[in-house]
Amino acid sequence: MAIRELKVCLLGDTGVGKSSIVCRFVQDHFDHNISPTIGASFMTKTVPCGNELHKFLIWDTAGQERFHSLAPMYYRGSAAAVIVYDITKQDSFHTLKKWVKELKEHGPENIVVAIAGNKCDLSDIREVSMKDAREYADSIGAIVVETSAKNAINVEELFRGISRRIPPLEPHQNGSNGAMKLGRQTSQTTNRCC
Amino acid sequence: MAADLPAEFDVVILGTGLPESIVAAACSRIGQRVLHLDSRNYYGGNWASFTFSGLQSWIDEYKQREATTDEPVTNKEQILENEGIIPLNQRDRTIRNIETFSFSKSEDSNIVEEIGALSIKPELLNTNPTDGDQPLQESPAPEQPELQEPQSESVEHQETTSESDQIPGANIAPNSEGGSTTDAEPNAAKVCQTESRKSITYSDIVREGRRFNIDLVSKFLYSRGLLIDLLIKSNVSRYTEFKNVTRILTYHNGRIEQVPCSRADVFSSKQLSMIEKRTLMKFLTFCADYEQHPEEYQDYKDSAFLDFLQSKRLTPSLQHFVLCSIAMVSKNTNTVDGLKATQHFLRCLGRYGNTPFLFHMYGLGEIPQCFCRMSAVFGGIYCLHHSLQCLVIDEDSKQCKAVIDSSGKRISCNYVLVEDSYLSEVTCAQVQYRQISRAILITDCSVLKSESDQEISVLTVPSEDGRQNAVYMTELCSSTNTCMKNTYLVHLSCPSVKATAREDLEPVIQKLFTLDADGGE
Ligand SMILES: Nc1nc2c(ncn2[C@@H]2O[C@H](COP(=O)(O)OP(=O)(O)OP(=O)(O)O)[C@@H](O)[C@H]2O)c(=O)[nH]1
Ligand SMILES: [Mg+2]
Repeated sequence: MAIRELKVCLLGDTGVGKSSIVCRFVQDHFDHNISPTIGASFMTKTVPCGNELHKFLIWDTAGQERFHSLAPMYYRGSAAAVIVYDITKQDSFHTLKKWVKELKEHGPENIVVAIAGNKCDLSDIREVSMKDAREYADSIGAIVVETSAKNAINVEELFRGISRRIPPLEPHQNGSNGAMKLGRQTSQTTNRCC
Repeated sequence: MAADLPAEFDVVILGTGLPESIVAAACSRIGQRVLHLDSRNYYGGNWASFTFSGLQSWIDEYKQREATTDEPVTNKEQILENEGIIPLNQRDRTIRNIETFSFSKSEDSNIVEEIGALSIKPELLNTNPTDGDQPLQESPAPEQPELQEPQSESVEHQETTSESDQIPGANIAPNSEGGSTTDAEPNAAKVCQTESRKSITYSDIVREGRRFNIDLVSKFLYSRGLLIDLLIKSNVSRYTEFKNVTRILTYHNGRIEQVPCSRADVFSSKQLSMIEKRTLMKFLTFCADYEQHPEEYQDYKDSAFLDFLQSKRLTPSLQHFVLCSIAMVSKNTNTVDGLKATQHFLRCLGRYGNTPFLFHMYGLGEIPQCFCRMSAVFGGIYCLHHSLQCLVIDEDSKQCKAVIDSSGKRISCNYVLVEDSYLSEVTCAQVQYRQISRAILITDCSVLKSESDQEISVLTVPSEDGRQNAVYMTELCSSTNTCMKNTYLVHLSCPSVKATAREDLEPVIQKLFTLDADGGE
């Protein structure tokens, strides 16, 4: 099966559970005392989708969003963006809209947008209704699910939903644009012209 | 927002160009607490790249800032008794003489809007929050770039701002020996319609404006060298992608020709005779390890490379190829330097493709951002649109111990790194400035057509009389993600000789590009 690398970038306020969602998805693990993200740049997980394997390269913001200084390179080439809010914080739902705007401005066209209303295990203190979230998601053509990284609810569904929205490659496409990553493996030390 | 910034760091870095970003990544990587600031609301300083409308706002912003004077702001309250200050510039002055031209005929005269455009934030036009004398609300933010009337006169902008273009490492071509000089650049941008094939209009460009990533300073990289090593070693390379330059072109005998440089190119070349092919191959084979054969060039050590080439019986065409397009040196470069440059070219050849050069997807502006991301991943704190008023110096030790940021907050630190354009003229009195003239064109066909419309080409145009420096040109196709489909983004540069970039580059542009016959000028 062909492996397709898909870049996914995470967006959302600090503390909404971006890293926790990824940690649940990739390692099926939840850490109550996870610290604000530093040191994580990306995690990967491969899942089957139809006749293809989707290898998600999930980028975390690395804290650059804290002072509104996320670099455009963060969005480059993303197949999808997961925008997370915390269902117990109205504010985090409000800023979600700013992230959507930012994506429209800097992100690639045709990017799949998935909205995750996280911490749904705390629905007794919820501030954002599912109805509001769904209405907003529909208005921008985004996927929406309520997730709990803590209780492993809907995290896989979130990524499965993304997979489903990624159009399969046409037989003649190889998914590559001819660009290359520089790496140790590509260097041929003795290749000369003559 | 600034109130949330911690009051203590190990290293404060101002400016997000490539050198500053590399240092930020390095410091964070070894565990230093880094605060990385830029007075602009975008990354890269003069290494930035912009969309089409982004570039227009940048030009407008420079124009506006030109009209205001720099009032030094100093917040004396925060300064203790035995402390001095070094005030910093609130405005950047190295890019000068910006002019824009449009040669496109716009048959559709209705107002166009960039697809997906959002209104430009007013602060984009005023990157200096401390400049109280600059009325924010009066900035006429162009919500969408205006459509120019058919055959409209060129819009002229003239500004004085500053740029620090410090080139680290030796693997940025062609001005690789730039070392630590600082360039002040008269800059000219030009929208030029060559032969109208698919008839790209100005409105098309505006509409597809987001497809452009226009570098203020365009460079391509040798596929071997310190920067490439650093990208790989630091793992920053995984954030980013390159394409190999596909063609090396030269301007020779009034025509543009492709330079054969690999073995396959040389043998398949139609412009070379059989004898020339053999001579060139033999010469290049020698250059690949010239040190092993000192007897071959001993007598020419102190003479010009060109004389050496003649002694090797290279025909005038071959001399031209080797001198201008392979070694990329001037007529008076000495033999050893010429050999070294040729060898470097050959060593880079074939590492990633058929030419020795790499071009960055989405433009050079991505590279500093990649290093910034690495710094952030290791804890660096990023704050754009935030500057420093001054550095606080301890009078006894003469060391910088703190900075005052643009909101007036004192932040203590052990080290400060400031991009040169933020330093005042007084502070930089000792610096030798070098001027570079640049032009950026958007064209609708390649300077040398080939089977593929997706060539990335590098072209050298030697000066006519051989006394001035050559003009270097890169032509980028849309698959580099720097321009829209059916267009090319062309960057030209040469060391400044005349008063403006226009005067330096116009003759070459006229040689290489034609305007659509009925489009008029
Ligand atoms: N109850 C509950 N808590 C959660 C859930 N997901 C995350 N948390 C907690 O929320 C806090 C923040 O989670 P993070 O994953 O660090 O959030 P983040 O969005 O990555 O934050 P930054 O890295 O600072 O931007 C942590 O204390 C988590 O334990 C969840 O589904 N339910
Ligand atoms: Mg996190």
